[in-house]
Amino acid sequence: MKMSNPQVFQIQEISAHPGPVPGLGTQRAVQVCKYIDVTTCIGCKACEVACVEWNDHPFRETTFDDTYQTMPSTDWNYWNLIKFAEDERDGNLMWLMRKDQCMHCEDPGCLRACPADGAIIKYENGIVDFNQNNCIGCGYCISGCPFDIPKFNQKTKKVYKCTLCSDRVGQGLEPACIKACPTGCLHFGTKHDMVQIAGLRAKQLQEHSGFANAGVYDPQTIGGTHVIYVLHDINNPERYGLPKDPVIPPSYTYWKWLAKPAGLLMAGLGVLAVFFHRVAVGPRLPQPEQPAPVESQPDPIEAKRKEQP
Amino acid sequence: MTNGWIDIKNTDMMLIMGGNPAENHPCGFKWPVEAKKTRNAKMIVVDPRFTRTAAVADLFLQIRAGTDIAFLGGFVNYAIQNDRIAKDYLVNYTNAAFIVKDGFKLPDDGLFSGFDAGGMTYEKSTWNYEEGGNVGPSSGGQSATAGASGSVSSETTGQQKKSGDEPARSFEQRSQPVGSQPSTPPGSSAQGGGHQAAGGPGASGQGGPEPPPILPPNVAYDLSLQHPRSVFQLLKQQYSRYTPEMVERITGIPKDQFLKAADLFTSIRKNGDMKKAATIIYAVGWTQHTSGTQIIRTAAILQLLLGNVGRSGGGVNALRGHSNIQGATDMGGVFDIFPGYLKIPQPSDTDLATFIKRTTPTPSKPAEWDSYNYWSNTPKFMVSFLKALYGDSAKKENDYNYHYLPKIDRKFSWTEMWDEMYAGKVKGLFAFGMNGVAIGPNSHKNIEALKKADFLVVCDIYPEETAEFWNSPGISKDDMKKINTTVYRLPGAGFAEKDGTFVNSARWLQWKYVAVPPPGNAKVDQEILARIFLKVRELYQKEGGKFPDPILNLTWPYTTPLNPSLAEIAKEINGKALADLTDPAQPGITIKAGQQVPGFAWLRDDGTTACGNWLYSGSWTEAGPLMQRRGTDDPSGLGIYQNWAWSWPANRRVMYNRASCDPSGKPWDMERRQVWWSEAQQRWVGNDVPDFKVDSKPDDHMGPFIMNPEGVGRIFAPLAAFADGPFPEHYEPFESPIANPLHPEQSINPVATKFKSDLDKLGTPDQGFNVVCTTYRLTEHYHYWTKNNPMNVQLVPEPFIEIPAQLADEMGITGGEKIKVSSARGIYVAKAMVTRRIKPMIIDGKKTYQIGIPIHWGYRGIAEDEGKTSLMTANQLSPAAIDPNAYTPEFKGFLVKIEKA
Amino acid sequence: MSSSVERFDERARREADRVGTTVVRRGELLRHPVYTRVLHWLVAITFVLSLLSGFAIYSPWLFKFLTPIFGGGAMTRFLHPWFGLAFEVFFLFQFLNWLTPMMWRESDRRWLKRIKAYTTNEDKLEPADVGFFNGGQKVYFWAIVLSGVLFLITGILLWFDDIFPRWLVAVSYVIHDLAALLMLAGFIIHIYEGTAAAPGTFRSMINGTVSERWAWTHHPAWYKAVTGRDPRESYERERRRQSDRERAIQEWEREQDGRDVP
Repeated sequence: MKMSNPQVFQIQEISAHPGPVPGLGTQRAVQVCKYIDVTTCIGCKACEVACVEWNDHPFRETTFDDTYQTMPSTDWNYWNLIKFAEDERDGNLMWLMRKDQCMHCEDPGCLRACPADGAIIKYENGIVDFNQNNCIGCGYCISGCPFDIPKFNQKTKKVYKCTLCSDRVGQGLEPACIKACPTGCLHFGTKHDMVQIAGLRAKQLQEHSGFANAGVYDPQTIGGTHVIYVLHDINNPERYGLPKDPVIPPSYTYWKWLAKPAGLLMAGLGVLAVFFHRVAVGPRLPQPEQPAPVESQPDPIEAKRKEQP
Repeated sequence: MTNGWIDIKNTDMMLIMGGNPAENHPCGFKWPVEAKKTRNAKMIVVDPRFTRTAAVADLFLQIRAGTDIAFLGGFVNYAIQNDRIAKDYLVNYTNAAFIVKDGFKLPDDGLFSGFDAGGMTYEKSTWNYEEGGNVGPSSGGQSATAGASGSVSSETTGQQKKSGDEPARSFEQRSQPVGSQPSTPPGSSAQGGGHQAAGGPGASGQGGPEPPPILPPNVAYDLSLQHPRSVFQLLKQQYSRYTPEMVERITGIPKDQFLKAADLFTSIRKNGDMKKAATIIYAVGWTQHTSGTQIIRTAAILQLLLGNVGRSGGGVNALRGHSNIQGATDMGGVFDIFPGYLKIPQPSDTDLATFIKRTTPTPSKPAEWDSYNYWSNTPKFMVSFLKALYGDSAKKENDYNYHYLPKIDRKFSWTEMWDEMYAGKVKGLFAFGMNGVAIGPNSHKNIEALKKADFLVVCDIYPEETAEFWNSPGISKDDMKKINTTVYRLPGAGFAEKDGTFVNSARWLQWKYVAVPPPGNAKVDQEILARIFLKVRELYQKEGGKFPDPILNLTWPYTTPLNPSLAEIAKEINGKALADLTDPAQPGITIKAGQQVPGFAWLRDDGTTACGNWLYSGSWTEAGPLMQRRGTDDPSGLGIYQNWAWSWPANRRVMYNRASCDPSGKPWDMERRQVWWSEAQQRWVGNDVPDFKVDSKPDDHMGPFIMNPEGVGRIFAPLAAFADGPFPEHYEPFESPIANPLHPEQSINPVATKFKSDLDKLGTPDQGFNVVCTTYRLTEHYHYWTKNNPMNVQLVPEPFIEIPAQLADEMGITGGEKIKVSSARGIYVAKAMVTRRIKPMIIDGKKTYQIGIPIHWGYRGIAEDEGKTSLMTANQLSPAAIDPNAYTPEFKGFLVKIEKA
Repeated sequence: MSSSVERFDERARREADRVGTTVVRRGELLRHPVYTRVLHWLVAITFVLSLLSGFAIYSPWLFKFLTPIFGGGAMTRFLHPWFGLAFEVFFLFQFLNWLTPMMWRESDRRWLKRIKAYTTNEDKLEPADVGFFNGGQKVYFWAIVLSGVLFLITGILLWFDDIFPRWLVAVSYVIHDLAALLMLAGFIIHIYEGTAAAPGTFRSMINGTVSERWAWTHHPAWYKAVTGRDPRESYERERRRQSDRERAIQEWEREQDGRDVP
């Protein structure tokens, strides 16, 4: 995969940014994609370690929790977590292991929800990245995300998540997790290629491995994702801890982009309305109205008094 | 591995059993995955637990720990009954057609012929071939004694000279993984490796006045495989008892599931098709049983029966559990072998000639066939080894200082060593690169043994359980005062702080480089050893001693004697010419004195070559360090990568690859062509280095298994090859919930070693020990090291015990609750991981539970030092019962009871 | 001055003295004692701060303009909940302070019915039953009470979003904003009514007093209650007084005109 400009990605969307994105549409961009073949994941956690190491995350204490899973969910300093699920259906036991991380949605809920200009950026290649310098720590992205990915750091009051190793990808390298994966269950390339390879793998699983419902998880309800999965059972992504039809909460879509401006507009109109009320109708003066005192003219009554000795 | 990691990608069918490669060999596991993805290969996983390997398998069967022979024997039976066998392969490349001596008895009652109840050993003279010729129907069946004879000697003497211009010789793999137990001895190989009559010390005879029986040079055979005493008929008879019903009773695998697996695995030989290949992948889940070696034997038999050995995508593949355990085994890291699997002398080997005679096999085969018998080169390897050890002082006149070598009068295996220390006989221990207390079975006994030792030297990078045995749980301050063992701790260097080679499971010698220098006063191992050696030598020089010669005459030719470079040592191991060498078969080529030899074909038995390990000869030649190569070209696409590192023997990637062709020299599968016979060149050529005599015409009918004196694969392993029988038989683990359904009166392996000390107790179901327990490693940890590394501790912070959900329900145990597991030897307390991945089993009609304990914790480490664990080692529970061939303890499948803590 | 005014004045002084001093001049009535006024402005200030900091986060179009006021986005985000909390606390006191006069009465319903006439200034004088607060003011008050509660609940949900379910937070987000819009609408009207729309009102929150004329015009019932006079009568008298006065002026002007133009 070749990046036309390895240092700087063209930004496609900026959170809470009024007006157009500078430079958008001036280049052709490759859509990147991570493809995770859940059917060949062995839960070795090499990707977890690679992620921690590459991003220089501090070690954190964990506790035994009756599972092989490292911790209950991703965290601000743990962006990549394999989720283990013992899934037994009709006496058929499966041990599902799914690498959980940011899905880099085509229509990112975090970005939709973010009120801070430039805190969340979506590049034209599909990477959704956080810029903590601009993050205001409101946590809206947390509730805007359909996959429960962004995590808040109580100390820095900022939110963090997987960057798809934008720093590596910018240098023409694959993300750290991809590099570390020993079985080749993780792949990285253009979205087009990955969708195609994943589709072939799903077909293979249907035809040769007895997984009639195998399929590619690339949820179109959020415009597709830049991390896609091949699942044994595409009809029940909940088995893997994935939402079936992930959606950005409506509050972050039409509320934010429709109702909010409308509300502001109404507020503006309200100000105008009272202004024109004043102009057209005038004030309610205490009755009976007193004639307005004229500054330049002396009060005639007072003047009269003065005249009369 | 007969094959290699990468070659697994060429397979059509995988049986992964006694191993958990996804967790313990995740990097290598990419190749099984590759086979699934590119070839639609099927993966069958058989394990006591539903592991992470099982998670990606096509079929998973939960087996009771320690019943693998029953399962595999059932496969053998199924293959024979359903005619899913490789007939041509079987007849031509195995000893299936050989006739076994009259008087040999199958173990219907649990015992083979020749059992000596007093010594608990076998007298093995009936475990032999019948002398004679073709006894098959075509020759009237009575030509047993009329076969050709006398052609044998010419072959043995002539072969080396006839060999081609490349080191086209091979070697019999003798490499079992000892996996997680680095200091346990190697298993004997599946296809023999035991030479005729080469009974190891403590095996059968002690080499008394009576010469041990030998293999007949001219073996009787029946190519129709119909003779009742033919190996094939005996095999059929032996495993006819392993019916699916019997398999279910023993292993707990329901009949229908077993049949599904058997059908799937043998489907590669449906209708006699030879195109497909199946591989068997295993690790210490097989080795660590009292019948461990025989489990692997059963797998080898199955693979020979199906014609899978020597073929790309086939083989019997041992996954080594440590990065250099293969190298340790190759270099003689075990008590009964020298580097290159040369035997260690016994007291009866009074001189070099006697020793050579005992350990050098002679061919034993049908007269019409040819046998390369590569071990006939033993004298060359041995003399070159002695020259490497003692240099100029080793001369023909003094038997090349043969008498300097130790002669072992008994077994000094891992477990026996600790037993003798506990008995007060072993007075000191050097523990380098291993954590003896934690890794051994019955840890408590090991701790007690160390208390009795005079000194203990530990070289490690962390404070660990062995060095701090005096601080193990249960020892009070007062108790400590009574321990008189002097403990010396030496600061070793970690693997990334040293250069040198790792030999991987695929037998590749790969050079690695120093990543960071050792910290502080830490020193690399060779420096520590050199300093000790030079000091000892100085003492001998000054003070003399009982027998100073072996020490004083040892060569130490290194540039920096105090810190020999590993490059120099690697070159020494490869071997060099001590005089100018020429070879009549390769006119014009002279290896000058002082030059590195190009390969083991140049080694001599006249003292003109020195070689540290003949197997590694060719790894660092005049062309340079081949082990450092990083060539990534793979023209055949089979993943052979001839220019990547260097693979023993002779850079050959798949062993026995002659067997990948039919008898006429044509590959069974043209798409996976490894080697083949070229009519034009009149020699064996191919993508891999032929593991064969390169100019031996197919018509010569030379057997492809050139390391066996028979030249063929051993379905029947004659004489002293194995201590416990020529055919594998299922025996129960030493601690078993049931009596052996095959022969209750002989439930366990009759010749497996039992220790008699007061700490070697065995538990029975009657005593309440009714749960089968197995131990294993996790992918997140590496043995007992990584409990010191925050990253690994973050991934899996604490010890735990995996227990079946049903058992937890019955006992009212919830996940995360502490439970106490106890065996007859010790207790272990940790939190319970309640899982549906282990199911209750019906064993011989009895509901039986299995549990699993990861071994990684002890009493020193991050979690331990923070007081988060119970400070116990899992091996407090395991018994010191050992396999009679490889001496590996039974870490898997012992009995425990469970209580709430 | 009548004695009732004096009486009222004394009582008002006593009450006002508890927290400050309100100077009531002749022809004026005390409307808001110091306590109320201070409270009102505390509520007002914290409300405006909440509003500005909230609107900074509310819309990308305002983010750039408003966040610098508070020292950047992160600081704005940090301060907003604290502003809000302060507003809630002060308003709680105001709520208790005004709960009695803000109680809804039958007259308020009637007031709301003729809101159109009110906005178009059809009647110069408020109906005689309009008391201390008119119906519109009460609506605004109760709207603040309602949105105050909504702000508090949803604000806490948004503040500690990591411990609440995602959907709840998402819903809170909308409700918080709706409450803000409600407040904003009321706020605009409030300011307008308090300043330009009804001259004489603003000073009631500064000085605390209003003119009697203002009182009988806008809150006749209150006027009656505190002065004991009939607001209509007072109005008529004043009107008469004023027309007398105007007549006198006109006379005088005529006189002057006659002098100038003989």
